[in-house]
Amino acid sequence: MTRSWPNLSPARAVAPDALPGAPDRRLLKRLWRHRSGRRGLILGAMLLALTLLGMVWTPYEPDWPDYTVALQGPSLAHPFGTDDTGRDLLSRVMDGAHRSLGAALAVLGGVFSIGLVYGCISGLARGLTDTVMMRLADVMMSLPGLVLAFAVIGVLGPGFVNLLIALIVADWAWYARLARAMALGARDRPEVIAARMAGVPRWRILSGHILPGIALHLGVVASLALGGMIGAISGLSFLGLGVQPPHAEWGAMLSTQRLYFAIAPWLLWAPALMIFLSVLASNLISNALRDILAVEGRR
Amino acid sequence: MIRVALRRFAQALLTALAASLLVWAMLPLAPGDPAYRILYSQTQKEPLPAEIEALRHEMGLDKPLPLQYAQWLGKVARGDLARSWRTGQPVAEEISRRLPATLTLVGLALVVSVAVALLLALISAAFRDRWPDRVIRVYTQIGAALPTFLFGLLALQYIVVGAGVGKVLSGGALQMAILPALIIGIDRAAGWTQLLRASLIEAQEAGFAQVARARGARPRRILLIHALPNAALPFLTAIGVSVGALLGGSPIIEELFTWPGLGSYTVAALSARDFPVIQAFVLISALLYVAASLLIDLAAIALDPRLREAHP
Repeated sequence: MTRSWPNLSPARAVAPDALPGAPDRRLLKRLWRHRSGRRGLILGAMLLALTLLGMVWTPYEPDWPDYTVALQGPSLAHPFGTDDTGRDLLSRVMDGAHRSLGAALAVLGGVFSIGLVYGCISGLARGLTDTVMMRLADVMMSLPGLVLAFAVIGVLGPGFVNLLIALIVADWAWYARLARAMALGARDRPEVIAARMAGVPRWRILSGHILPGIALHLGVVASLALGGMIGAISGLSFLGLGVQPPHAEWGAMLSTQRLYFAIAPWLLWAPALMIFLSVLASNLISNALRDILAVEGRR
Repeated sequence: MIRVALRRFAQALLTALAASLLVWAMLPLAPGDPAYRILYSQTQKEPLPAEIEALRHEMGLDKPLPLQYAQWLGKVARGDLARSWRTGQPVAEEISRRLPATLTLVGLALVVSVAVALLLALISAAFRDRWPDRVIRVYTQIGAALPTFLFGLLALQYIVVGAGVGKVLSGGALQMAILPALIIGIDRAAGWTQLLRASLIEAQEAGFAQVARARGARPRRILLIHALPNAALPFLTAIGVSVGALLGGSPIIEELFTWPGLGSYTVAALSARDFPVIQAFVLISALLYVAASLLIDLAAIALDPRLREAHP
């Protein structure tokens, strides 16, 4: 999948020390002041609003065919047109939004949590445990993410949940490596040493001093991958490996309607526009994040 | 340098072995009994317990797992990739027919994307913040926001079909690969242009470039002679990642262009859960990727003296 980042894995391009300006809670404000960050936030907010609206209300029933209006071009009644069974495309992209975007967020949440736990255990345990855990991660990282994803789909079979599992398996190791590097670094930070000397119990040091910093940092790295993940999910859905009919999902809509593109090109527009805008919004925000966090210190 | 290269080679061999273990493990990890599934998919009837038992014995599924892996690895090393569960045809035969088509498309797309990215990044860095740079940045933003399959769909719809250029159906020959490769390459180049532009600009501002500028070197010379070689390394790594993405994405790409390669063979196998075919796809893509990363790392070691010492 083509993103500004090599493929599924942003962590591949972002070295552990590539975000020297520690992310903090004023991040949103700084994003808003950044030019492309603001554009991304506005676009993202609009898409989010459309997604949330689509979960409770759509102009028409998204999965309900109405053959009397099959394959109609854009009109006032159907702004994006209708598909081969007369379903309203606006309703379908609105309904599909929470599957497409929710899937990307679910995968990122999955790799974030697994990476955080795995990396922290590995980094804090050190010794043989660390070596074995990291060798396993190395093997995963030495194979292309999509190839791994196809292997998992091969084992589990096609399906929406299996697709999410496959993408998590494909990418978790990058986050685990990053979390481990940060856990190793955190042990020697002044405030952690000070806390240790002050007799703070180990679990409180872990939960109060080490984890929050790593989690925030890793969360930002994960958010950089959102655009690539939306693209990857829509690509795999395009193969028919994701959401199964009749449910709407952007990639799946492109896949099932492809036969009619030659006579009804509007079938392509609605899902393509939604994918494009969501990836664009994520890219704008992640470019701004990268600017703010990595370059700010030097300017 | 030789020691570093040899170490890297040994590492690649170990990775390949680990990948083979992973591929083999797909079968025992998958839910359900493979013998039952094979018999069922071939006859579409409930197989008898005796038939299942016989096939399990024939496939060696009643042996201990390490022995199964060793036997599987031995077969694979001799080029025997078992038979497809659906068709009963040897997988290796079909793959040897389809692999050249995939390699042609992946190779050509790679060449296009590298050439486009190199050219645009150089223009962008040379005319920084002036109009050529602005135009190129609009292209990279759009290209990066369109997944390859979507860009391909749009290009097929509006350029190929709309303008009547070329044929949509492709036959796997070199001439036929040009159009898909252009489409894939132009989309993939967007991300690499951004990356290379950033590293070129960084190199243009580095100390050595400022020294050259102070000594009166012209901007073009600084860009091409001083900045480009220093920006080449991240680009080289990017090519390696790209090989992986193209191989991994080949099912999507080939489905899109109806390209008769490894990927489209795999798409059909995925929904039918035809294990030998999926395993062969994963194994071959993984081995090709490991080999490509090895070559690229060796090239990087040869190009950059720092890498010869850096790894202990």
